[in-house]
Amino acid sequence: MFRSIIVISTLALALLLGCQNQGNVAVANDYVSVSGLLTSQDTLVKYEDLGLKKLSDYGFFKQPISQLIPASEQVVPYTLNSPLFTDYATKSRFISFPEGSTAAYVSDEKVLDFPEGTVIIKNFYYTNADLKNNDTDVILETRLLLKKDGEWIALPYVWNEEQTEAYLYILGKDIDLVLEANDERVEPLNFSYSVPNINMCKNCHVKNQKLVPLGPTPRQLNRENQFISVSQNQLAFLSDNHFLVDLPPLSVVAKLPDYKDESEPLDGRARAYLDVNCAHCHQDGGSAKTSGLHLAYEESDLYRLGVNKPPVAAGKGSGYLAFDIVSGKPEASILLYRMKHLEPDIVMPEIGKNLVDTEGVALIESWIKSL
Amino acid sequence: MKKIMFLLIFLLVGLVILFLVLKSEPFPTYSPERNYTADKGTEQTILSQFLLAKDSTVIELPKGQFSISQALPLDGVSHVTIKGHGMGATVLNFAGQTKGAEGLRITNGNNITIQDLTVENAKGDNIKVMDTNGITFRNVESSWTGKVSEDNGAYAFYPVLCRNVVIDQCKAIGSSDAGIYVGQSVDVVISNNEALYNVAGIESENSINVKIFGNKVYENTGGILVFDLPGLTQYGKNIEVYNNTVYENNTSNFAKAGAIVGQVPSGTGSLVLGTEDVYFHDNSFTDNKTTSIAIASYELIYELGKRNSRPEEAPGVVGSVRTINDEYNSDANYNPYPRQIKIGENRFENSYLFPTINNDFGKILLFKKPFQTVDVLWDGLEDEDADYTLCFETGGESFSFYGLDVINDFKNATSDVSEYNCN
Repeated sequence: MFRSIIVISTLALALLLGCQNQGNVAVANDYVSVSGLLTSQDTLVKYEDLGLKKLSDYGFFKQPISQLIPASEQVVPYTLNSPLFTDYATKSRFISFPEGSTAAYVSDEKVLDFPEGTVIIKNFYYTNADLKNNDTDVILETRLLLKKDGEWIALPYVWNEEQTEAYLYILGKDIDLVLEANDERVEPLNFSYSVPNINMCKNCHVKNQKLVPLGPTPRQLNRENQFISVSQNQLAFLSDNHFLVDLPPLSVVAKLPDYKDESEPLDGRARAYLDVNCAHCHQDGGSAKTSGLHLAYEESDLYRLGVNKPPVAAGKGSGYLAFDIVSGKPEASILLYRMKHLEPDIVMPEIGKNLVDTEGVALIESWIKSL
Repeated sequence: MKKIMFLLIFLLVGLVILFLVLKSEPFPTYSPERNYTADKGTEQTILSQFLLAKDSTVIELPKGQFSISQALPLDGVSHVTIKGHGMGATVLNFAGQTKGAEGLRITNGNNITIQDLTVENAKGDNIKVMDTNGITFRNVESSWTGKVSEDNGAYAFYPVLCRNVVIDQCKAIGSSDAGIYVGQSVDVVISNNEALYNVAGIESENSINVKIFGNKVYENTGGILVFDLPGLTQYGKNIEVYNNTVYENNTSNFAKAGAIVGQVPSGTGSLVLGTEDVYFHDNSFTDNKTTSIAIASYELIYELGKRNSRPEEAPGVVGSVRTINDEYNSDANYNPYPRQIKIGENRFENSYLFPTINNDFGKILLFKKPFQTVDVLWDGLEDEDADYTLCFETGGESFSFYGLDVINDFKNATSDVSEYNCN
């Protein structure tokens, strides 16, 4: 009897207070780490002509899809030697190959030549250890790159609060997070994670006015990974399973250093970091072509790399400093100044970054000191 | 007694002169009536119109003054029109933006038209257009509100690497670099606009086939600039500047330290820097304190820039928008000298007795030409191989000319135009 009175009065209170009450309940449960994921209140426009409405419609993963377990052998997991920094999110990547088709090796630094119908899948999540007051992993978004009629298209999917589905959502979304303190962070960190809008994908993925994938190059894929039955070099796995042709002997394929691996030489680590975090725009044909700053791993001209090079149209981003990089002087280098800032007209990379990559800053700082 | 009176009058006159010389223009303020609404729903509707635009879409923006928190991007579409209800009636305010540094960002398009709206207060540039063939701005206001400051964004209108650019009947206000700026573009018309309170009112940089006419350019630091800078994808030529009204461009320079426009002396009607084949005719220049038309080589600006950077702060503190590039000698395709600059009939008037003296040009003029105004000023540096550096279509009776001969410490400075006649 008492129980039903309590239940009824709680329900009535909930009804009375409406939306406001949701917030209170959340605080009461100390569930403050994630807000901004899709809820039933989000109105979803129909985008049929862009792509499928729900992530589950593609059938990449077994139900429950939040486990991210491939539904078939055509969906192959992969990792990279040096991944892009995205506000400390962890990424889980897959390539979905159409039945009976293969990708071709082009060169060590060029993305594999993928067949029509390939989908590259990148899931962004935070583990329960990352998040304050949260006992499960939380997947925020899944980005797809699809090859259709010879062209790549980019589609962002945002997950719902229940973690049962992700929906095509083109407007971009801010998701409030609280990251748990750890070895590097003394205090928990509040910030707003940004899912990019559909056009922002192009900022990084456009080369010579065409959308292209960035990650899966042989030198990035050249590493061990755990597959369902075996642990094997990823390129060898792709080749053995007839997903990849024209692969030269592994012994001659270059390997991009893992910038987090402190046993690697400093120069290689720093150059790998700049390559994956900056060179998608800072290269010929990239969005930052007008800047004259070229940060690809293979760039050998110091001036093009920014040493003693004045900025072209940096605006406030220059921080009143004269050169992109001053050898031995990280504090006088615009490149480092912009990595350390978050204001929209200063921050680099200019989108998708809401937190400073403290470890990345330390790496580039030591590298500039060493020049 | 008489002697003392004489001395007193002398002193008083001296003080008045000193006052006139030292007095610099106050920084202007632009304060239109605004009542912004910040409504997430409206912002998302507008954003989705941009994101979902296809070829031939007309993006109609509602009436009202909206605060928008992110850059609005349009990419890879053809024949798209972005349209409001008029300047001041449809206002997109980017003052509090947290994502992207631009207001509108248009890339890889064909035949895009932007009309009848106001874009204001973006962190970086208000409207940036890149890699687009066919971009028309008509009846668009692009501004930074409040008192002008170096914290204002750089460019109000910023087409770069474009072809077939038209900027007509627009208004550019308060840019800390250039109001109407066209860079590395081909086939450009800048007509019937108003540019005020900017460091540079209108600037054509490294652009080819440019017509600048019918504009009203006033109260900037410099009115109409034609620049050629090193290290870029192309160099400018064939630029015609005519029927413009250029007056009172005496605002103190508020560019960010180290930006190349930071070298523009306040009180400059027009400045040609480097560049080939520029023709000025039928313009009216009025009350631009320092000079109406200045013609200079990149070499001079480079040397002045070096001298003006304080040694104790170098090399750390230059910074900027388009900075002064000390590697210009290494660019083999770049010619730092102006060539074939033709000056036809123009109306020159200057009621100010003194140039502004917060810059090197002004100081030189004050000492070399006290109590005289100089309509056309030239640094005297030339490319020996050019057909000619500058010429006048009219005789020297209708304007005053001063060639500085900077390289020989003004030894052969001249006011004689007879040897620079176009015939």
